[in-house]
Amino acid sequence: MSTIKELNISPVGRVEGDLDVKVYIENGVVTRAHTQAAMFRGFEKIMEGKDPQSGLIVTPRICGICGGSHLYCASSALDTIYKTKLPPNALLLRALGQAAETIQSIPRWFYAIFATDMANKKFANKKLYDEVVKRFAAYVGTSFQSGVTASGRPVEVYALFGGQWPHSSYMVPGGVMCAPTLKDITRAHAIMNQFRNDWLETTWLGCSIERYRKVQSWDDLMAWVDENDSQRNSDLGLFIRASLEFGLDKFGQGCGNYVAYGTYLHKDKYNNPTVEGRNDALISPSGFYNHHTKKYSPFNHLDIKEHVTHSWYADQGGALHPWEEPLPTPVTSQNLEHTNFNEKYSWAKAPRYTGLAAEAGPLSRCLMYANPANLPHQTKDFLIKDAMDKMGPSVFLRTLARVHEAPILYQLIDQWLKEIDLDGEFYIKPEEKDGKGFGATEAARGALAHWVEIKDGVIKNYQVMAPTTWNVGPNDDGGKSGPIEAALEGIEIEDANDPVEVGMVARSFDSCLVCTVHAHDAKTGKELSKFKL
Amino acid sequence: MANVLWLQGGACSGNTMSFLNAEEPTVVELIVDFGVNILWHPSVGLEIGAQVEHLLKDIIAGKVQMDILVYEGSIIEGPNGTGTMNYFCDRPMKDWVKELSAVAGYVVAIGDCATYGGIPAVPPNPSESTGMQFHKKQKGGFLGANYVSKGGLPVINIPGCPAHPDWITQILVAIATGRIKDVLIDEYHRPKTFFTDFVQTGCPNAISFAQKVDGGFGKRGGCLFYEVGCRGPMTRASCNRILWNRTSSKTRANHPCLGCTEPGFPHHDLAKGSVFKTMKYLGFLPKDVPTGVSKLGYYTRAGVEKVMGKVEKVFGVDQEHFETSK
Repeated sequence: MSTIKELNISPVGRVEGDLDVKVYIENGVVTRAHTQAAMFRGFEKIMEGKDPQSGLIVTPRICGICGGSHLYCASSALDTIYKTKLPPNALLLRALGQAAETIQSIPRWFYAIFATDMANKKFANKKLYDEVVKRFAAYVGTSFQSGVTASGRPVEVYALFGGQWPHSSYMVPGGVMCAPTLKDITRAHAIMNQFRNDWLETTWLGCSIERYRKVQSWDDLMAWVDENDSQRNSDLGLFIRASLEFGLDKFGQGCGNYVAYGTYLHKDKYNNPTVEGRNDALISPSGFYNHHTKKYSPFNHLDIKEHVTHSWYADQGGALHPWEEPLPTPVTSQNLEHTNFNEKYSWAKAPRYTGLAAEAGPLSRCLMYANPANLPHQTKDFLIKDAMDKMGPSVFLRTLARVHEAPILYQLIDQWLKEIDLDGEFYIKPEEKDGKGFGATEAARGALAHWVEIKDGVIKNYQVMAPTTWNVGPNDDGGKSGPIEAALEGIEIEDANDPVEVGMVARSFDSCLVCTVHAHDAKTGKELSKFKL
Repeated sequence: MANVLWLQGGACSGNTMSFLNAEEPTVVELIVDFGVNILWHPSVGLEIGAQVEHLLKDIIAGKVQMDILVYEGSIIEGPNGTGTMNYFCDRPMKDWVKELSAVAGYVVAIGDCATYGGIPAVPPNPSESTGMQFHKKQKGGFLGANYVSKGGLPVINIPGCPAHPDWITQILVAIATGRIKDVLIDEYHRPKTFFTDFVQTGCPNAISFAQKVDGGFGKRGGCLFYEVGCRGPMTRASCNRILWNRTSSKTRANHPCLGCTEPGFPHHDLAKGSVFKTMKYLGFLPKDVPTGVSKLGYYTRAGVEKVMGKVEKVFGVDQEHFETSK
């Protein structure tokens, strides 16, 4: 006889806002999943009728961990409206802020959010478990403190140029506020070097950045792990070996479509910002990749639409592009227990690209690095695409992509610091105008964009679409699952009292959300068990 | 030894991110060496789901002692006072906070949203957000003007968007080490040790402020008060004494102070002309003048300095203080 259970999980993500998840389990396998974003603040609504530059102050405060990314979008959107001129130094300093924020997130996310799950007792019968606990257990793990402390270093560089992290507003239409001096640049080099010595090469890689960058395929990676003890026993080496032993490469596949808006506008290729000129000016390339057909296509923001049939907002007459969307009008929400999932059930909207659910994040970005159509100035890296072709997506591959970017970003930061011209301009005062703008980037956790309309000198419409919106979004108008919902479907839950698998899938998307677990009987809706660790 | 429960309501997690940057002590040291026992925290807590719900119920029932309740984010009361725009463990967060505050030894509100309502409370305040014991400058907020915790203090406010990590950790250490009696609070419930001096104290451009020399974006040197809306002279915080991320502060990076430790941030509710622009009176006098100076007095003195500066320039006096070298 088959047993059907429902599992309500509220909080899942361990970062910000609240995500609740309901999974339906049949014979230990998840057959359907619903994600529920459980908090509404209405930031877009607050900006209506306000100063056109309000986004520079307000949007970084949407998310404390991606504030620099929001700022990158907000300033870029105004650049496209004001038709600013951007000096090369301004583009470099914005890229530096974005990259510093993203590289910060890598150890902070890995140790504080993800790896503690690998120390869950579910894996206690595995060979590498003791070593994993020794290093990754929260607070007491030998790498936990050094990893979390090291994560503070890159944002010190951000602070040199932006004043503080989180929540600076130093990127403004026309450039940046700061005009760094020689000592700011040398200090930034020294801090990044410290990050490399304290963590990146010593604890994390067990080899030089240059050696690691030679890894360009799955076979290369396996050979790298076995090359010597230093690499095998590094935190990355351990993560790879333990993931394969624990089976993290076997679940959490997802929807198979990948979207990246790209980021890091090249210092000499975006001095006259336009929406149309953006793709070719990116260093980290944009694009859309379909894993089922193995085809890449160029990114066009006009192919994005948001659905609200299952979101707690007043209906807006079908899926709309953000420039056409009304500001959100909230409707009555329910708690997880009383939600009817055939109706509205989340504060997140459901974005779709050419009608398809798509995953945003480092996995998407790393796939774009391997696009044969990339231009000479764009990042090229082939490991993740090769691994994807060989083993398909999973919790492991998503996580590997996230950490794989650390050495790439380190090299970019080093190069950009060298390219700043201390005799050059940092800001060119623009003339304020009305119009429609688009600004986008890759936040640590994926594609982020702002669509802005300024009319009569104030904000008429402001639409923010976060990577978490792409990933945790609910069903669309056609009843098709969002990416995390899709990734949960089909996974095996070993112990309904401690569904660590659900947490791991959600956290592999780095969904910036928090999550609780109740186990329910599907038929009666009664809570089956209450539990403590 | 102090048990700490940390919750987030209408939050961006910015104060948590800031907290994780702490240096003296680090978060791990705080826990391992300073006897701060985190019962639960949304980012670094280990329990999930029902485990958290059990913990909250045990605290409310008095089975688990909670010495400090740290709250980050606004209290969301919408829609129509129900608080259902922010569910946590299947109940409106505000209902948890009300019951937990009744049993807390001390309540510490962290960041602008928790202290004064912050950005979510800017009109039209779509989520009906408010602060723990203030709504902007108005005392009251969610818990009411008369609330005191079991330890006998009202909500201790550590404002800032975000709060500086050392402000947070040092107040937690002060409580955990029995120094709570040394924590004096001002009229907005801020610990005076951090919020008596102004952001301008220690600002490298203070001399340009005194001599009325304008700065601006992308420039080295000059004061940001006159043109781009810096609020350093009227904002109490130690940003230029206890630096951010070990290295910097907004004004040191030529970024105008936004006044985020004063209730009412974002000031003027983001009205047209208020963002990175100094709002003017009669078209040339700053509408907001430094704290502790009368408008008339300020305008008179500033006028003299401005004119003198221009005259000196005409006469070819080197203004060496005002340009920083690359």
